Amino acid sequence: MALLNKIAAVIVTFNRSAKLMKVLDALQRQTLAPEIILVVDNASTDDTTELVEARAKEMPSIRYLRLPKNVGGAGGFHEGIKAAYEQGANYFWISDDDAYPEPDAIRKLLEALHEFEGSYQWRPSFACSRVEWIDGSLCEMNTPRAVWDWARFLRPEKPWALVDSCSFVSVLIPRWAVQEHGLPIADYFIWFDDAEYTRRLSKSYPGIFCPESRVIHDTPDNRGVNFGLVDEKSLWKFKYGARNETSFRRREQGLPGVLAYAYGVHRQMKRGDVSWKLRGQIFRAILRGMAFRPRIALVK
Amino acid sequence: MCNDHDLPVAVSPQASKRLQAEIAHIIDIYRVLYPARNLSFVISEGDNPTRGEPSIHEGQPIFRPSDLGAGYLGRVECPGPDRNAPVVTIRVSIPREPSPDEVRHQDPDWRPVRPLGALYAAAPILYEDIRYRAEMRRKRLAGKRHQCISLPFSRGSTLLPAAVEPDSGKAPAILIGMHWLEVGGAEKLGLDSIHWALEAGLRVFVVAGVPSLQRLASKLPDRPDVTFIRLDRYLPDDQWPRYVENLIRAENIRVVHNHHCRQLYDALPQIRVKTPWVKTIDSTHVVEYADGGFPRISGVWSNYIDIHHVISRQLADYYRDRFQILHNVVLGRMLDPRGDQKALRPISMQTAQKSLHITFIGRMYYQKRPIVLVEILRSLAGWAKKADIDLRATIVGEGPYLGPLTQLLRRFGLLDRVALEAADCNVPALLDRSDILLLPSNNEGLALVCYEAVEHGCIPISTDVGAQNEIIPEDLLLPLSPRETVSACAGIVERLWRDKDFLDRQKAALRAAWTRLSADPTAKEVLMPHYRDAAGTVGKG
Repeated sequence: MALLNKIAAVIVTFNRSAKLMKVLDALQRQTLAPEIILVVDNASTDDTTELVEARAKEMPSIRYLRLPKNVGGAGGFHEGIKAAYEQGANYFWISDDDAYPEPDAIRKLLEALHEFEGSYQWRPSFACSRVEWIDGSLCEMNTPRAVWDWARFLRPEKPWALVDSCSFVSVLIPRWAVQEHGLPIADYFIWFDDAEYTRRLSKSYPGIFCPESRVIHDTPDNRGVNFGLVDEKSLWKFKYGARNETSFRRREQGLPGVLAYAYGVHRQMKRGDVSWKLRGQIFRAILRGMAFRPRIALVK
Repeated sequence: MCNDHDLPVAVSPQASKRLQAEIAHIIDIYRVLYPARNLSFVISEGDNPTRGEPSIHEGQPIFRPSDLGAGYLGRVECPGPDRNAPVVTIRVSIPREPSPDEVRHQDPDWRPVRPLGALYAAAPILYEDIRYRAEMRRKRLAGKRHQCISLPFSRGSTLLPAAVEPDSGKAPAILIGMHWLEVGGAEKLGLDSIHWALEAGLRVFVVAGVPSLQRLASKLPDRPDVTFIRLDRYLPDDQWPRYVENLIRAENIRVVHNHHCRQLYDALPQIRVKTPWVKTIDSTHVVEYADGGFPRISGVWSNYIDIHHVISRQLADYYRDRFQILHNVVLGRMLDPRGDQKALRPISMQTAQKSLHITFIGRMYYQKRPIVLVEILRSLAGWAKKADIDLRATIVGEGPYLGPLTQLLRRFGLLDRVALEAADCNVPALLDRSDILLLPSNNEGLALVCYEAVEHGCIPISTDVGAQNEIIPEDLLLPLSPRETVSACAGIVERLWRDKDFLDRQKAALRAAWTRLSADPTAKEVLMPHYRDAAGTVGKG
């Protein structure tokens, strides 16, 4: 049973100072306040620095890691978890700069981890919140992926489902998991960094989905990750997603995994009637992913 | 009480008195470190004016021939409260009295490194250039050699007992740690903070990390509530944490304020674990090129420090950018409190004036680049001769570069127009009659003398280092590369003399910068609340 509960919140931000301030407001209201709130700034060009500096005067837990250039969410979480690990945190609460945790969100996650360990002796590799969109519905893009025996420990009073993957929106990761599995892959830049990382962690033991811990994700719209939705504007992100997941599949499942993935992407794009021009670019990203083998950095 | 055995017959009353005083001081130190032990001192006379070379071992002394050499003075037994308590043996030497020459000169005269001696003789500026390049290389490598990561600090579990604050029954006190008590910016602030602490009502204990003659010890207030403890001489570094802990407990120390004392940084884990009620403050001044200097050390220890006091915005940014720290970094300028703010004198320099007085004020160390200064004066003298200007200069300062600087002035035929003054000359009067202050430093925090120059109507020109750009306008900042420093400085002085618009712009910019700095809180303003808060604290029973 964990006896030490030093929590470091790691928030990666880029040019969203107003939303970031709302995240800090939400963290200030937590019934279990993180000892460190590490704001990782991906070289924002807005007033993020000034606002964080001003806020730090009233929130002594704030630390501000300004990166020299934008390294994407993946690079930001990589640097943030690394810095928080070096600061001796026992737990890392990872989240976006537009996700507002309910006042007891972090406490519920920690209590769930402790209680699960106490009751079942297994150590979940993470605990993730129920992520809701601004209208209270489930946020599509932040839906955790359940394992086959997800209901093994699910009880009416403790509805914790076993999951092997979740997004970096309100997930609490214990130090041992980072120590054992390293850091998120910075080279992913954006997309699939969270899924890859949590799947890597869950090789030790799956994480748990804790619906009693809630967080509001303030995204412009509520869309899931589906290649049928690719358009000119979102193409760049989908390309990163395709490359990164291909790379992951090749590493974990070999060529059959990549082929199955490519077929799934193809079906989604066909159903979404995505233009051939865009489909071509996605498939080229998949091909690039075959040769993309980023290094997994371990912590010292 | 202590018993003396085998002490030699005193050779003179002064020597005897000094020996007894030093032994009493040593016993005081070790009685704090080992309050319940029987102490056995093996004392010798040192052949060094600064170091006591202390060593400690558990148990009765076991004598070796090395103990009984020419310097052996004798033994002192100092029983503890319990005669059956274990014995600890301390070997220590009493530093000899320094010679008058050693008192006068902190360091020997500077000489160029031997392989480059001929180059220096032929072209001093080229020698400076090589040194500059070597230093910039160290700066580039510093990031790889020295990490900027704050050490973790975990408070532990509440399930286990925490440290209990004792009741010493004594009035609140402060421990002020200094690098040493020699002339310097950090030391000036250290001395100021001693006065402020007394003003706040705290008893003051002072320690220094680096053994030296501690020439500024004579500047410490001569009061019974100020104690300078010579740990630099008599305590091994590895014993500082326990000593500091015991001193805190025994003397009701509420604040530890560190002015560049390495051993006090090393004592922070002990303070945090054993005496967590103590507030820890540090003050930092200059980021060193080679390893970041004390700001980096301070950032590494940040999780153990309650307040980082900095003297410039550049330093505040350093903590933010290198260590992610925002919340406990406070800016307090090393300026007089605003209550003493003086009216600004108008800047005296005018275009096309027939005479020009240039001044340098600083310690004669490499940091101030005296050789570059001479090269600048040489260049300006050439220009002044052509422009028919009576150029005069005054150089104030002492240190190992004074001899080489004088030689160079003589060699370049400048001694007739350059006056050399001692460090204790009347600086305000000198600035009043000077047109330009030159500061071609290799590195600075924020040189107070530039601020004073503006107050006295003198235009400061400085290299663009440290936080100098907070007081010096961009057009008056010099590049750091020595040869560029010389040429740029000559260009700026010539333009100030020739171009009225430029001169007026610089005057306005200097006044604006001075006003901006004056609006910032002073060191006294940011430190006094903590001192007063501590002075009002009574130890818990």
